[in-house]
Amino acid sequence: MYRLALNMLFGDRAKLAMLLVGLSFSALLMAQQSSVFFGIMSWTYTPMVNIRASVWVSDREVEQVNDAKPMRDTDVTRVRSVDGVSWAAPLHSSIMQARLPNGNFKLISLVGIDSDTFAGAPAVLTVGRIEDLRLPNTVLIDEWGANLLGRAVTRPDGTVETVPLGVGDTFELNDTEARIVGVCRVKRAFTGGPFVYTTYDRAKAYTAGVRRTLSYVLVEPRPGVTPAELCDRIEAETGLRAWTSETDLWTWGERSLARSTFWWFWRNTGIPFSFGTAVLLGLFVGIAISGQTFYSFVLENLRYFAAIKAMGAGSGLLARMLLLQALAAGLLGFGLGVGMAQAIGRVMIEKGMPPFVLYPQVLVATLVLVLGISLCSALIGMVKVARVDPASVFRA
Amino acid sequence: MPDPAPAIRLRRVDKSFGAGEARIFALKQADFEARAGELIMLVGPSGCGKTTLLSVLAGTLRADAGEVEAFGRRLDGLGQAELTAFRRANLGFVFQSFNLIPTLSVRENVMVPLLIQGASRAEAVRRADAMLAKVGLGGREDGPPTALSGGQQQRVAIARALVHEPRLLICDEPTSALDKDTGQKVMAMIRDLSRSPDRCVVVVTHDHRIFRHADRIAEMEDGRIRRVVDDPSTLDTPAS
Repeated sequence: MYRLALNMLFGDRAKLAMLLVGLSFSALLMAQQSSVFFGIMSWTYTPMVNIRASVWVSDREVEQVNDAKPMRDTDVTRVRSVDGVSWAAPLHSSIMQARLPNGNFKLISLVGIDSDTFAGAPAVLTVGRIEDLRLPNTVLIDEWGANLLGRAVTRPDGTVETVPLGVGDTFELNDTEARIVGVCRVKRAFTGGPFVYTTYDRAKAYTAGVRRTLSYVLVEPRPGVTPAELCDRIEAETGLRAWTSETDLWTWGERSLARSTFWWFWRNTGIPFSFGTAVLLGLFVGIAISGQTFYSFVLENLRYFAAIKAMGAGSGLLARMLLLQALAAGLLGFGLGVGMAQAIGRVMIEKGMPPFVLYPQVLVATLVLVLGISLCSALIGMVKVARVDPASVFRA
Repeated sequence: MPDPAPAIRLRRVDKSFGAGEARIFALKQADFEARAGELIMLVGPSGCGKTTLLSVLAGTLRADAGEVEAFGRRLDGLGQAELTAFRRANLGFVFQSFNLIPTLSVRENVMVPLLIQGASRAEAVRRADAMLAKVGLGGREDGPPTALSGGQQQRVAIARALVHEPRLLICDEPTSALDKDTGQKVMAMIRDLSRSPDRCVVVVTHDHRIFRHADRIAEMEDGRIRRVVDDPSTLDTPAS
């Protein structure tokens, strides 16, 4: 009977199409909005991804990575003196205005790294060498920033094209020249500005007038010491705050700065509410459309269900048939919706905007919710079919 | 030689709908008997209680009072699940409006009673195809029932009603949606295919043109059987 139940559903193409529209739209909205949400939230702790170190040490008041509180330069030495530290390096992080050759200003994220060890340097340089940062007034810029800060050139045919900045191009930071010696590939940040890397000492020069320029101390533990253990020791001995650097949303520990950043944005911005509303909307739209359509499907087939009941099918069998029909439609709708979300996501990833991270957990949650919608729809139908009087088949 | 024991027996059956002053008695102390091996027609004017009687003896409607017995088993004391199981094992239906599921193929429609009984798909396909061949629809198994004429659809319904070899075949106005010739052919098919010493066929009809196919005719009036005619040829005028 179950195969016939599926054939009943698939045979009614108009209803099936309507059901799939509702369910796939719901799945699309839930998966796509959740993925953009997690993408945006992953941007909030981008520095943790781009600047790799096992332990980050900050001022005690720091709650999230984008809001560094300045520390004394001597804190680097204090951290180095903690037992279990393999190395410790200073890191500067600030938002600055870059003055472009055409007179425009753009916000950038300035990152100053230790010139001896280059600890915290970008992992991938597409152009140039990291060692060139030791040359005077030199910086690295990320690929996206190179395009953003590029200059507009009018072609002979009248079209305007942006030529990205490259090695040898310059701009100004705080009236001081910044000459590009390399282009790096890093993850984009929530703050929106491109990353400009330079040495820690030069970052101090670019931010002349600022008394304290140390944002974080990057630390690596000695072999045999876990990052969490080292965090405990650093906090106990220096009074500073120490964080681990896990960035995986699903496995990060209590001490992760990325985790703290994620929840800070969760508590202090409207992002979760905004995307949560969209996901809820998807859920309600799915319930409304598919519930109504499935109910209509049941109503149209009610006399056949009554006939099947008269022939000796129990309410349990009919309920299972309806459940199967609803779940089959749910699975198809889920597949279509998530497929569309993936396709949209692929375009987003290629364009780089907005961020899109489709976690397997989101897929599972979407599947559960879509099947939940199907279950609700089936329940409405089940009540109707359970109440149908088999004797009604004799009333033509 | 005494009459064989009735396969179906209703004794002093009451059935009413509504309550208080709006209460309507559809059956009032109704008695009815049908024998194994016979085709009995229930006739009477609209509203006389034919459909209610049919529903009660099919076990799809519970009587308020009285005894309902089928094949030696009292139905009036059975629970819902037992009644459902009884219908599954013993009843076949031919409906006035066919009630063929349009989104299933002809074969799948005929397979339904077998699958409800728990037959395997292969067995159900084999028996459905054999039954469709008997009603002259071999070769039309894979098409939708909506592609068939009214007479052909009723033949599919007959195949569905008999495929699981029920002991009681209930036909509700089987010819009312058909023209005269098709109705005669369909009725002849019901009579020929369902004829079995163990099977009882009850046909509710308004169509006096098919009276000749009956072994007996029970006339209903005001919720009771008014008379039972043993020789249908004596009833050549509409009962209603």
